[in-house]
Amino acid sequence: MIKAIYTAVLEGKVEEASTGVQKALDSNIGVSEILNKALISAMDLVGEKFGEGDIFIPQVLWSAKAMQAGMDLLKPLLASSDRLESGKIVIGTAKGDIHDIGKNLVAIMLEGAGFDVIDLGVDVSPERFVEKAKEEKADVIAMSALLTTTMQSMAEVVALLKEKNLPHVKVIVGGAPVDQAFCDEIGAHAYGTDAVDGLRKTKGLLGR
Amino acid sequence: MDTGLDRQCSPRFRLLDESQILRIHHTALRILNEVGVRVNLKKAVDLLAGRGARVKDGNVVEIPAYLVEDAIQSAPSNVTLYNRKKEPVMELGGRRIYFGTGTDLPKTVDLVTREIRDTRADDIVASTVISDALPNIDFIASYGLPRDIPPGLHYIRCFQLEVENSVKPIFFTAGSLEDLRVILDMAFAVAGSADELAGHPFMIHYSEPTSPLTHSEEAVSKLICCAEHRVPINYTPALLAGSTGPVTLAGALSVALAEALSGLVIHQSANRGAPIVSGVVATGMDMLRATISYTAPEFRLTHSAYADIFHYYDLPIWGTAGCSDSQYPDLQAGAEYGFTILNAALDGCNLIHDCGYIGQGFVASPEMIVFADEVISMVKRYMRGFEIDDEHLAMDVIRKVGPGGHFLSEKHTLDHFMEEHWRPAVFNRENLPNWIKKGKKTADRKLIEKAREILEKHKPEPLPQEIKSNLKRIWSEAERKIRS
Repeated sequence: MIKAIYTAVLEGKVEEASTGVQKALDSNIGVSEILNKALISAMDLVGEKFGEGDIFIPQVLWSAKAMQAGMDLLKPLLASSDRLESGKIVIGTAKGDIHDIGKNLVAIMLEGAGFDVIDLGVDVSPERFVEKAKEEKADVIAMSALLTTTMQSMAEVVALLKEKNLPHVKVIVGGAPVDQAFCDEIGAHAYGTDAVDGLRKTKGLLGR
Repeated sequence: MDTGLDRQCSPRFRLLDESQILRIHHTALRILNEVGVRVNLKKAVDLLAGRGARVKDGNVVEIPAYLVEDAIQSAPSNVTLYNRKKEPVMELGGRRIYFGTGTDLPKTVDLVTREIRDTRADDIVASTVISDALPNIDFIASYGLPRDIPPGLHYIRCFQLEVENSVKPIFFTAGSLEDLRVILDMAFAVAGSADELAGHPFMIHYSEPTSPLTHSEEAVSKLICCAEHRVPINYTPALLAGSTGPVTLAGALSVALAEALSGLVIHQSANRGAPIVSGVVATGMDMLRATISYTAPEFRLTHSAYADIFHYYDLPIWGTAGCSDSQYPDLQAGAEYGFTILNAALDGCNLIHDCGYIGQGFVASPEMIVFADEVISMVKRYMRGFEIDDEHLAMDVIRKVGPGGHFLSEKHTLDHFMEEHWRPAVFNRENLPNWIKKGKKTADRKLIEKAREILEKHKPEPLPQEIKSNLKRIWSEAERKIRS
């Protein structure tokens, strides 16, 4: 039964994933077993295959959808101890930037890995990033920019976190003009070269 | 329903219009009738004379137009090539395009040392294995001319090594009629019998007349031998404008066409309906260096022109692409491969040879076969065009996503991205940080790695042991004859 859910997620079959999880629950299989052995481990393999170039972005997204369909059934049953993933992430594009394809990909990859993702959308001000992170007790702020003119606002987020005394919130940055040097320069904690790398680095920030 | 809408668009290219085709065709007919061709084989002269051609000076034959028109009619419009397992894999004709390597390169850029050295027999095996593995290489040629095999035996050895290391059809040369006979014996052994081979030919012989307007004894005897055995042959002149033909392209093309058409007449006179693939090379000689350009723009103009002419005849067409004048795999080679492969595809050429050539037909560099495969794959996607119907116009999903959303996770995207969009096997599409992280590998580096990986991992379908032993016996007999 676990295997069927695992395969459904791997192949991006949304309905099969959903019915699979329902059947598993009906047969009294534990919530955390379904979560870890079927949903998350399937998404781990999806991420790995994508990193190897064996599958492509649309297939990853459909796997993530299948995983979400399963999650929707599990969520109400999750005890606070099996909090999805030890991690809540506030994500958005930098202020002035409305290019969100890269950000969307990262958000989907993070969700697929079981993180709790709060997507603030596009053109997000530094204040909003920090307020939301504080309010949601987030662990990570993830930001992307496509324009060299908008990437500067990322530095303000880092500064604002210091000012508001939120040192435990980690910052990860990405986007075409961003590089490791820029990340270091503004004092962000990590830089992802693409969506897969973004996921990997986020896991790293959270000690996973 | 949409009426009168062609739901598939695809790149279309024609160089000549009908009146231009006929003007060049009639010039070739005049050349054959008024100037004639020299035929250095009595059997062929007699064949032509018996059908009404006029003979002067013993071996110059003036061929009347009706014989040419008759040969164009009797030659098959489609020539099917089979693989070694008798499965039809290449239907030469129409605008169907097939690509393969070329023959006889005396030098090789070593895959490991990168030095330019003499080609060896193990290079023939290597290029055959690489070609066997690549999805866009449809047929195999010797690629190299092995210097470690005694002259007079190397064509035979090449054929043996190719048939042992690939199931794909073989495009082969032979030094003499004797060579060809030995190679045919090998092919009969592989197919089971001469009749089986004629029914399921897995090979095509490549022979050529000599410009201007001469059929050598050797070339024409091989032409007739193939016709008699109904083994497909590719009989195509290579003319150098300004040296072995007129310097002007229209004149060069007309002479080369006359050469190819006179070959067609001899072939069809020897055996009506026997399979043949036609074409010409009419390129310039470099007037500073006396070298032959494989990629000059004039080469491509005459290539497109004769392709239009043979399409007009409805006869299968041979062509040239995926080659370079550069002596080393470099930027020049890259540009020339891209230009020539796209051009040959647009020409709708059927049997496109010389993929993987560099050094003006003298140098092999095995990873360039891998490169050709990648470019062919890209060009084939381009040639496929795209569909224009409700599903592909995508109005439903456009409405669903609306302004400002994204299409990444739409079912429509999932359903179509694989077939609609080409993905490189070798070419770089990494972003800068990932490219640096993965070792800053340029395409030329990746090609060498992929060629080596194929040689390490790819295991071609083996030839049955019994057939292998028969080939070995035929080889030993040929070797004994040559040595005595």
